Amino acid sequence: MKLDRRLFLKGAVGGGCALALGLRFFHFAEDATGYAEQVEQLVRSTCSPNCTGACGYKARVTNGRISTLIQAADYPEESYNPRGCLRGLSMMDLIYGKDRLKYPLIRTGARGSGQFRRASWDEALDYAAGKLKAIADKYGPEAIAATIQVPGTGYVQKGAMVALAGLAHWTMHHGYDQNGDLPMFWPMTFGVQSEELESLEWLNARYTMIFGSNVMQTRLPDAHHMIEAKRRGRMVVVDPDFCSTAAKADEWLPIKADTDAALALGMAKVIIDRGLYDAEFLRDFTDFPILVRKDSGKRLLAGEVRALAGATKGRVIPEYRRLFVVHSGNGLQILDPERLNPTRADLEGEYQVTLTSGQTVAVETVMTALKRTLADYTLDKVAAITGADPKQIERVAVEAATNTPLHIIYGASNYQWYNGDLKGRAISLLPVLTGSIGKSGAGISTYAGQYRIRFNLKSWWFPEGSRLNWVPYLHFLQGKGPRYPEHGIKAMVGGWGNPFDQHNMSNRLKDLATSGELEFILTTDFQMSTSCQWSDVVLPAPTWYEKHDLTATILHPYLQLQQPAIKPLFECRSELWIFRELAKRLVPEHAGHFFPELDENAAALKVIELLLATGGPETRGITLEMLQKGPVRLHSPAPGDRQVPFYEQVHNRQPFPPPSYPAPIAATAQFLRSGRIEFYKDEDLFLSEGEQLPLHKETYVATEYKVNPKAREAYRLRFVTKNSLYRVHSTHSNNTILLELQDNQPKVFLNPAEAQARGIANGDLVQIYNDRGKTRAHAILDPGCSLGTAIFEEGWWARYLADESYNSLTYPWIKPLHEIYFVPGMWSPTTVWNECLVDVRRIPA
Amino acid sequence: MSATMKNALRISGALFLIAIVAWLYQLKEGLVLTNLQNSYSWGLYISGLAFFVGNAAGGLVLSSSIYLFGVKKLKPLAKLGALTAFANVTAAMLIVLPDIGKPIRLYNMLLHPNFMSPLVWDVIVLNLYAAVSALYLYILMLPDLTGPLARFAVKVADPAGFSETWARRIAPVALLFAIGIHVITAWIFSTQGARDWWFSPAMAPDFVSVAIGVGTAVVLLAAALAYGTGEKYQDAYQTLALIVFMAVCVHLFLMMNDLVIHAWFGDAETHRIMEIAWGDFAWAHIFEVVAPLAGAWLLLQERVRRSLPRLAASAGLLIVGVFVHRFLIMPAAYNNIPMTMTPLGLPGVHWSLPIASGRFFPGLSTFLDSYAYAPSFIEVVILLGIMAYAVFLVLLAIAKLPILAKEVS
Amino acid sequence: MKMGMVIDLEKCIGCRSCMVACKQHNAQPPGTWWNRVFTPGSHHHLTPPAKGIEFFLPVHCQHCENAPCAKVCPVGATYHAPDGAVLIDFERCIGCRYCMSACPYGVRQFNWEAPEKAHQRAGYQEHYRFGYPEDHRKEGRLVYAPLRPKGVVEKCTFCAQYRDKGELPACVRGCPGKARMIGDLDDPDSEIRKLIRERNAFQLLPEKGTKPTVYYLPPKAKEI
Ligand SMILES: Nc1nc2c(c(=O)[nH]1)N[C@H]1C(S)=C(S)[C@@H](COP(=O)(O)OP(=O)(O)OC[C@H]3O[C@@H](n4cnc5c(=O)[nH]c(N)nc54)[C@H](O)[C@@H]3O)O[C@H]1N2
Ligand SMILES: Nc1nc2c(c(=O)[nH]1)N[C@H]1C(S)=C(S)[C@@H](COP(=O)(O)OP(=O)(O)OC[C@H]3O[C@@H](n4cnc5c(=O)[nH]c(N)nc54)[C@H](O)[C@@H]3O)O[C@H]1N2
Ligand code: SF4
Ligand code: SF4
Ligand code: SF4
Ligand code: SF4
Ligand code: SF4
Ligand SMILES: [Mo]
Repeated sequence: MKLDRRLFLKGAVGGGCALALGLRFFHFAEDATGYAEQVEQLVRSTCSPNCTGACGYKARVTNGRISTLIQAADYPEESYNPRGCLRGLSMMDLIYGKDRLKYPLIRTGARGSGQFRRASWDEALDYAAGKLKAIADKYGPEAIAATIQVPGTGYVQKGAMVALAGLAHWTMHHGYDQNGDLPMFWPMTFGVQSEELESLEWLNARYTMIFGSNVMQTRLPDAHHMIEAKRRGRMVVVDPDFCSTAAKADEWLPIKADTDAALALGMAKVIIDRGLYDAEFLRDFTDFPILVRKDSGKRLLAGEVRALAGATKGRVIPEYRRLFVVHSGNGLQILDPERLNPTRADLEGEYQVTLTSGQTVAVETVMTALKRTLADYTLDKVAAITGADPKQIERVAVEAATNTPLHIIYGASNYQWYNGDLKGRAISLLPVLTGSIGKSGAGISTYAGQYRIRFNLKSWWFPEGSRLNWVPYLHFLQGKGPRYPEHGIKAMVGGWGNPFDQHNMSNRLKDLATSGELEFILTTDFQMSTSCQWSDVVLPAPTWYEKHDLTATILHPYLQLQQPAIKPLFECRSELWIFRELAKRLVPEHAGHFFPELDENAAALKVIELLLATGGPETRGITLEMLQKGPVRLHSPAPGDRQVPFYEQVHNRQPFPPPSYPAPIAATAQFLRSGRIEFYKDEDLFLSEGEQLPLHKETYVATEYKVNPKAREAYRLRFVTKNSLYRVHSTHSNNTILLELQDNQPKVFLNPAEAQARGIANGDLVQIYNDRGKTRAHAILDPGCSLGTAIFEEGWWARYLADESYNSLTYPWIKPLHEIYFVPGMWSPTTVWNECLVDVRRIPA
Repeated sequence: MSATMKNALRISGALFLIAIVAWLYQLKEGLVLTNLQNSYSWGLYISGLAFFVGNAAGGLVLSSSIYLFGVKKLKPLAKLGALTAFANVTAAMLIVLPDIGKPIRLYNMLLHPNFMSPLVWDVIVLNLYAAVSALYLYILMLPDLTGPLARFAVKVADPAGFSETWARRIAPVALLFAIGIHVITAWIFSTQGARDWWFSPAMAPDFVSVAIGVGTAVVLLAAALAYGTGEKYQDAYQTLALIVFMAVCVHLFLMMNDLVIHAWFGDAETHRIMEIAWGDFAWAHIFEVVAPLAGAWLLLQERVRRSLPRLAASAGLLIVGVFVHRFLIMPAAYNNIPMTMTPLGLPGVHWSLPIASGRFFPGLSTFLDSYAYAPSFIEVVILLGIMAYAVFLVLLAIAKLPILAKEVS
Repeated sequence: MKMGMVIDLEKCIGCRSCMVACKQHNAQPPGTWWNRVFTPGSHHHLTPPAKGIEFFLPVHCQHCENAPCAKVCPVGATYHAPDGAVLIDFERCIGCRYCMSACPYGVRQFNWEAPEKAHQRAGYQEHYRFGYPEDHRKEGRLVYAPLRPKGVVEKCTFCAQYRDKGELPACVRGCPGKARMIGDLDDPDSEIRKLIRERNAFQLLPEKGTKPTVYYLPPKAKEI
């Protein structure tokens, strides 16, 4: 910090000369305040809300307060400078705003009433510890659930909570699935949690396709790389909405919402039919040549085949692998799951195979099966499903296949639908068919919250003796599920999140809190969010300008520090300190893990050193001192430590998947038993659902229409809740500067025809409603908004919606397939915010 | 002093005092107390300036008629004319004060005048005109400064002759400054290329014509109130009425001429202006045309001139009409945000860039692309107070000074 | 040396970060914005005026060479600095708002009340104010002050307080789109002069004859 901090003393009153003094009264009578004799500093920290932009900032501190914030612009690659946005630039509004938490609070009124009394730290901590202990004693420790929200924006402070939860054997929800940011097509197809190019790599793409990701707003600091990428290639945006990203694209391809799978399959068909695919790549790196039994739908195992069974004997492969069969010029052949050597396997073909039982079965390659599936996706049919122009579809498909590297961005809003996994699997066909994987500027990326952990955190997060009961958030909301605690979840311990706005699906959380089903709610935040309002104990935390932490998110793969520019305001204490104090009260035998001998700042720095030392290959050689000088690139296998997914797999022919933190490889690789990119899934449920290969399924059939067939008529608008330029989810909801930019109004965007049909005019206050709940907003007639859609910018605190939470409308659907791919702390069902039907009506003035 | 006079003085004096208190309060709180905002930066106060400046023309009309054009029958009204001129021109300067954010710094006009600024010219001519009308009044009064007032009289051999000679000499100068205040006040608006509603060469001559009309009507009204509508003055009144009528006609001609040219050219900008002027403010515009015309026409009627109530009502109608005309200087200039453009790819669309209002109300919009201004209570109070000041000054002068012709008083 | 700015509308993503950077660094109270970014043709920013058509336009003081605001200012409070930037002397302005009326771009902002009051209404902690914390004088004239008195006019200064220290204006530093650039218009070889020449730069309301020193590079048309 010292190196990056400029200290200078100011002399006499700025510029005021003696001559002017006489006229002072006439000049500046009412504000003669000078800034004499004050100490100023510039301190670098990292803006760390849940957008995971992790932009470096410099805070100018004047008289102990932050007077200005500006991008640090100190990334070694000039291209990454300046990183930051309007939210980060107005952060002082939250730090010094009216909702800032100042003291520990204990609830006095009814839940949600917002009535609290100020308590001392000891009192609040003792009280909380007492409640938690009683609940653990009565229902078992797994009745207490903590949520780990966005690891990458602060590994140190959050780690303290995870460590305590583990040591106390609590239940844990992962923010990734809680938020719906976990795109299940990734584990299904690539065996990883998720992957992405760093934004500097966008420039190396020759063709970029964005399927429903509003990067101009949701990846704002990186957006300029997209504009630059346009200069070297083309950028096509597939989105039902003419969003600002579509406005910046070379080409907008509007489709009906949730029909991306059909579009991608139609394009895949064009590419295959015209022979524009990279056969070499498909043969060596994908499951395309793998033989599938036509009778059972399962992939043919070498051990089942009479001619190959012998060869499998004694062949040692990891438990999570299988020996599948391909066909090549020499006949049947075992596919080595541990080495991706060239096999010259046939991509297409149908064969008869004799099994060890003597039975003969018909088999075909995955590609042959896929082509059969694709036969349904002719241009005309795809055009009918998607509403897009068949000529445009065909042209874009051909351009994409002939202008590689192809990069695809698959946005969160697009996969936060019930069949989002199918869409993702279909869309990933495009980069895979064109061999655009594992190369600079190539691949498919998801830029959701980026909850993916970037290095090994075990030493701090999961100490010896830690045991966590990972329960998907959706199971919590539904009140049932595989690891759901016997007595239910009785206590919520939260921080870094605002679930009472953001995850209050069908009003579940508020109902649980009101009914008393939830016996204790503890939240730590730096401002009085809706969730704090609903809590029993509220603990005031510092912002990222008031404490030490370590961040690593990935659009720019840097390790960076949060550093205190100012002292924590009022009585705020860092989370490390808070959870250490709770640990002392709850698991005194483990309190030593939290460096009790050090003050909270020194302890945080110690943890950073520990994490760097034990982080694995990604942090090798990186020290605290280096970070104090500025951001340092994480290591990666790709040249220049660039973030290029699957670089090793493709360049060094290593089996898929690469490991995903924090799980051991065995836990994740079991989903890619062939060691290759897999489009064919043969678990029973996939077969019974008919989803062994990607296909398009109609929206709402398995959800809204199923539970309420009348919904088809009653609720005619898709409720698409997308992210706002002016907020990071609910953070900055109360930012007065940003509220001014929004006319202080929540808005819902409607196609003018939809509005007209409902007698709604621009600016009218409308109610958005369905059977589950309601909310309100001002209607904006938006000619870029597709028919049948109501777009709402999520993240408003309930108080701006007359206490009608917008998530009272949504429902915690679970796609059963997602439950198969469960890995603790990594994978669980995707929350599908957009799978929600509503209608809109004017609220009479 | 009559009881009516006393009451009139009390009321107008009290109103003026209230306005001063209101202004002090506004000084303390800021112009936030007005209903102005960034996109609508001038309102009632500046309309008031234009109004008072116009009213101040009466002195000019009389002096030039008498001494340049030899209309002798107007002579008894000359002092009254000079007095109303002085009262109105000082009111015009006063009404600017509450519009100034930092009036305490007005000394900067002396220390650092920017001679490019029409406002500086205006301040100069207004001051000169005030000085000249005061001087002129003084010279006209000179022969009558007797008794206790004698100590104010300059010692000259033949006060009447002196007065006559100098009145004749000052008249052309006064005419120059009088025309000057209208022209230059008009230039403040008509030089603003940013505001198409104002940006017109017709504005200055129009200001002059309005001023001749309304200034004369003010003198006519004052005279009728002071002297009554007796036969003795009918000749003079008729002449004044004729001047009023002709001036109003010229004014309407200039105004229409300007409108026709604007409307004929018909670019998008003018369309919007016309929409505001003849849409939102249609009734006000009809009134600003009809009221002065009707007032002037009525004054031409002998029946009207012979009845004090009728004359007063007609002159009042004209003055109110002109006041509305002055108020309407603003809306079509400010309701239409000047930064308008045709966005790329949208020919035919005319779009105004919203402006930050500069006024913060939690929960309301900061950025506005249109704003309907109506003066706030304090603005009205201050304007009325300044009007009261002018009345007060005239009444006081009439009460204390030899303003009225002797045979009447 | 003549200061000029170029804003590349192809690069501008309409994110409004420059608005916020400007507001924050120049201590503008709630309700006051020196810099605005809008979607031309639309009532609501980021809502296209028509299907398939949308671009963004930042507008702040255009630092006109033939600046009507400077011409009309009765006391010379608004003036041209030697580098061409149009500045306001906060100690001289009498608050007549003539300049606001004369400026065709709607960029001038008045302090209708003491800024502290607006801050209080917004609920900031006691006496907290953001912004570059010191007064800044140019040739003795107060052209930036963190606390402006009520009753004076203010606007974009091209960040005089930063430029005089050799730093870039806040909106240029803060623009994540890298769409903004400043430079010397007098130097035919300057980067901005080159862009102006090569990219068909345009000025706002050229017909008003104000000769702005802020230039815009047109956005590229796109296929729909
Ligand atoms: N400003 C800002 N940035 C953020 C965040 C924030 O809150 N604010 N949050 C961060 C987080 S946690 C996340 S998860 C990401 C999310 O970022 P994004 O993935 O960009 O998500 P959204 O902005 O919700 O939606 C992107 C687009 O998806 C489109 N869309 C919706 N449904 C479909 C569909 O079925 N098909 C297609 N083709 N398009 C569809 C919408 O119209 C919208 O334009 O943003 C991150 N960045
Ligand atoms: N209907 C609908 N709902 C959605 C979505 C949607 O698209 N539609 N999007 C979903 C998605 S993608 C996401 S990621 C989630 C996000 O939802 P959340 O994860 O709940 O995100 P935020 O609303 O930003 O809440 C973050 C909270 O953490 C606090 N905080 C920030 N920094 C700190 C810190 O250092 N310490 C402590 N103690 N607190 C801190 C902030 O003040 C804020 O209150 O919302 C989800 N909810
Ligand atoms: S809010 Fe996100 S994108 Fe904006 S500055 Fe902060 S980290 Fe960066
Ligand atoms: S910050 Fe840059 S990209 Fe964003 S609106 Fe301003 S000029 Fe445009
Ligand atoms: S934009 Fe307006 S304020 Fe700026 S120099 Fe030009 S006229 Fe003056
Ligand atoms: S308001 Fe100030 S800057 Fe503007 S013209 Fe008047 S004195 Fe000059
Ligand atoms: S140059 Fe400075 S004052 Fe001007 S708009 Fe940019 S940030 Fe604001
Ligand atoms: Mo997210």
